[in-house]
Amino acid sequence: MVVSLDIDRTDESAVRPAWQRARAFFSTPPGRLVAWLGILGLLGLLVGTWGLARKAVVFGLAEEAPLALAAVGFALLYRLTGIINVAYSETVTLGAYFGMWFNTTFGWNFYLSLIPAALGAGVVSVITYFAFFRPAHRRSVGVVEVIILSFGLSIVLRYGLQLIFGHEQRYFKVPFQNPIRILGLGVPPFRVTALAGVIAGALILYWFIQKTRLGIQIRALAGDEKLAQVSGINPLAVTVLIWFIAGLAGGAAGAFYGVGATARPLLGWSKFLYILLAVLVGGAKGLRGVIIAGLGMGVLLSGLTLAIKGQGLYSEILVVVLFIVILKLRGNRMSEAAKV
Amino acid sequence: MSLDWLSAFLIYALFTVAGTVGMAQFLHLQMGLAGIGNFGIVGFFGLGMYTYGVFIRRIPWPDAMGDILPFVISMLAAVVVTALAGMLIGWFISDLDGDGVLVGTLGFATVVYSLALSEKRWTGGAEGMAVTDPVGFGTKGNSLFWLGLMLLLVVAATYYVARVHRSPYGRLLVAIGQNEPLARSLGKPTFGIKLSLFAIGSAGMGLIGAIFAVMNHFIRPTEIGIEVTLAVMVGLVLGGSARVWGAVVGVLLTAGLFDIVVQIYLPLPDSWYQITLPVVREMVFGAMLILVLLWRPLGVLGDMRRDKLVARLGRG
Amino acid sequence: MKSFDGRVVVDVDDLILGSNPVEGLIGPNGAGKTTLMRMIMHSVRLDQGTVTFHPGGGSSSVVISSLPAHAMASLGVVKTNQVIQDFEKLTIWDSLLLAAARGRDERPFRIFAEKRVWAQNTAEIKRYLDEFPFASPYGFAKSAGEKKLLDILRCLLLRPKILLLDEPTAGLPADVRDRVMALVRQKAVDEYVSVVIVEHDLNVIWALSDYVHFMAEGSVVLQGDPAWIREHETVVEKYLGKGHVGR
Repeated sequence: MVVSLDIDRTDESAVRPAWQRARAFFSTPPGRLVAWLGILGLLGLLVGTWGLARKAVVFGLAEEAPLALAAVGFALLYRLTGIINVAYSETVTLGAYFGMWFNTTFGWNFYLSLIPAALGAGVVSVITYFAFFRPAHRRSVGVVEVIILSFGLSIVLRYGLQLIFGHEQRYFKVPFQNPIRILGLGVPPFRVTALAGVIAGALILYWFIQKTRLGIQIRALAGDEKLAQVSGINPLAVTVLIWFIAGLAGGAAGAFYGVGATARPLLGWSKFLYILLAVLVGGAKGLRGVIIAGLGMGVLLSGLTLAIKGQGLYSEILVVVLFIVILKLRGNRMSEAAKV
Repeated sequence: MSLDWLSAFLIYALFTVAGTVGMAQFLHLQMGLAGIGNFGIVGFFGLGMYTYGVFIRRIPWPDAMGDILPFVISMLAAVVVTALAGMLIGWFISDLDGDGVLVGTLGFATVVYSLALSEKRWTGGAEGMAVTDPVGFGTKGNSLFWLGLMLLLVVAATYYVARVHRSPYGRLLVAIGQNEPLARSLGKPTFGIKLSLFAIGSAGMGLIGAIFAVMNHFIRPTEIGIEVTLAVMVGLVLGGSARVWGAVVGVLLTAGLFDIVVQIYLPLPDSWYQITLPVVREMVFGAMLILVLLWRPLGVLGDMRRDKLVARLGRG
Repeated sequence: MKSFDGRVVVDVDDLILGSNPVEGLIGPNGAGKTTLMRMIMHSVRLDQGTVTFHPGGGSSSVVISSLPAHAMASLGVVKTNQVIQDFEKLTIWDSLLLAAARGRDERPFRIFAEKRVWAQNTAEIKRYLDEFPFASPYGFAKSAGEKKLLDILRCLLLRPKILLLDEPTAGLPADVRDRVMALVRQKAVDEYVSVVIVEHDLNVIWALSDYVHFMAEGSVVLQGDPAWIREHETVVEKYLGKGHVGR
């Protein structure tokens, strides 16, 4: 009796995943034709439903642009330190509250109050690192346990805010301005500047992490303390910097959300699932992917809300399900993918 | 026997604590043994609650069937629907890491909550819907009956969990939690096991949710907030997520202490009960989660002692 | 075939493993031996090609490269791990029972199956534990050597038809190593288990194997009897180095 294994290279492998087969198909001439037809079809759809698509893009970007900024901050933390920080949602909330506080109590201009909002959230983010995540890392608490820990922290902060500020929604004091017309639609100027600010902020972060020397060092050394020490870089300083930058992004996003609507204790938590989905779905392609996924999600949310008249909840359900399906189809390739 | 000391409030508090223990036992199988952090507990709980409600309220049951048969069918429907949802989530998370599990289970809970709010025709939307009590032992008798049923369910769940610890299935769950690739290389169909694990856990949580619906007489979206997930999780983690009795001990120390001792027996100003106390409760639970994971990650009871268990099994 | 980042790591034209009771797979570091093993076991995905398993004894052949990873063990294709792998919270007995238990007994509602699993497997496990004593068999594997040994015993309990040993001797004490190798040889000869050994300790290969595949730079360059491979010039130059000539 002979038991044997026969390894043969000539056959097509049967285990290639669907996305790989799809990619191979799209690089063949007929595949290319299909791809172009698909793109043309999408453009046709855009033109055909221009009334809706126009609104979806303008309102979606104007309202949900902070999502992209918040997602970039979360992605930095996740990709560089490996921590899923549920309490990041409260960083966003705190940004809104800090901004509102300076804006209403001290009468600061909204743009000026962005600075304390971002700085305050950044400082809180660093404090949570020293108080909870650093001790957890030192005691080598497991991955799932760190998620639970951050969940507990998120609860404490959220209900703490509720205890202090109550359930009521608080508004920024901003002077009324005439809407700016974009693509024939009126958009409040604050939304437009928020969009511009968010895009600028996200791009600055992207440039800082991807292009500057310090950013490259951060990427190379994050998480590898020994290597960092050999290179003469203080790993603690790098980690603190990452937490601070993530907090800045979250806080600014929160302030933008806050001025667009209201500051309330549940603000960050209501956005957390979308932030997480944008990071997981877009994260495989680096920060650029996160920004695109965040903005795309905003456009999709408002587009679906407009298409299914008046039912915002349906669009949220659809977007969550859609992104989860994308995540599943793509498979769990996060660990293989390059760092940010 | 006089049952006067059992106030309606105390019965309800005991009922809530028992339900939390039950859900914590199912979470124990998922998280304590198989190492899968389920953050969508309230989703399964809520799905069971609403499935029961929709079935009992929206189906025109003929009068000839009486009260009990529609109740039983609706309960079964709640179990089946949540088991199917659990299989779906189990399939989704089977090949994902902790981050994928978080987003999948959290997303599920969000979808359930949103559906409860948006499907007004079926669920009553934000106002919710009333459900009737199928048994007739009087007001107090009924609530005692449902408390007894819940306790029975908790005992059954605890017995099942204890047996699982002493069975090949439990050993496999621990193996999956410790080193899934190695378990797969030993020929264990880990994806399928996760599927059935989630189906069972969800069905259990769904059944508990359905009994909550009957006990409350009312189903509202406010019943399925993140507080449910938090109470279950903090109970299990404090007690010891790796131990059979962890869920019981932990929930008694958290929800038990807070909902029964603090809320009922502590002389607190009346104005606190409405607003302050619920908020403080969540804050305390959240803080407890942090403290336990930092100082005693295996909880009050500590790690599972398979060496003792195996020695006992091996020698006799 | 497998490539990482465009660099082809393993490119095997047509290789048949297991025609002899014990076969050796040798080659310099980075030749792709471990990658080849992982390709067979699905821990590394094939870019192109297939792996077919011929169980022998009249059973039909199976293309295993399209099966899920957990299906391999039940077919009888089993590999030990090069890097130490263990279940931290499972005791030694637990680990062995886990390997021996059948899927039927591991279903969620089989909560009374434990007695049967013990009854069915105690004798076999006891035999292994008598042959290879652990410090505390009801406790946990402590040293690296114990974990490595446990890994091999787990694989034997799966009752393999073809057993791939990936550097089985690394980390084992000399006396344990010799007894493990004797056991493997006996399994191969008496129970018709096809054994393939990847090993750096060439003395093990020369002593144990009936046939040797020599890999370099991702392909199998030489195949033949151990004695012939040993004398071959390419091997001597590429792998054994000048210092080993004449050993």
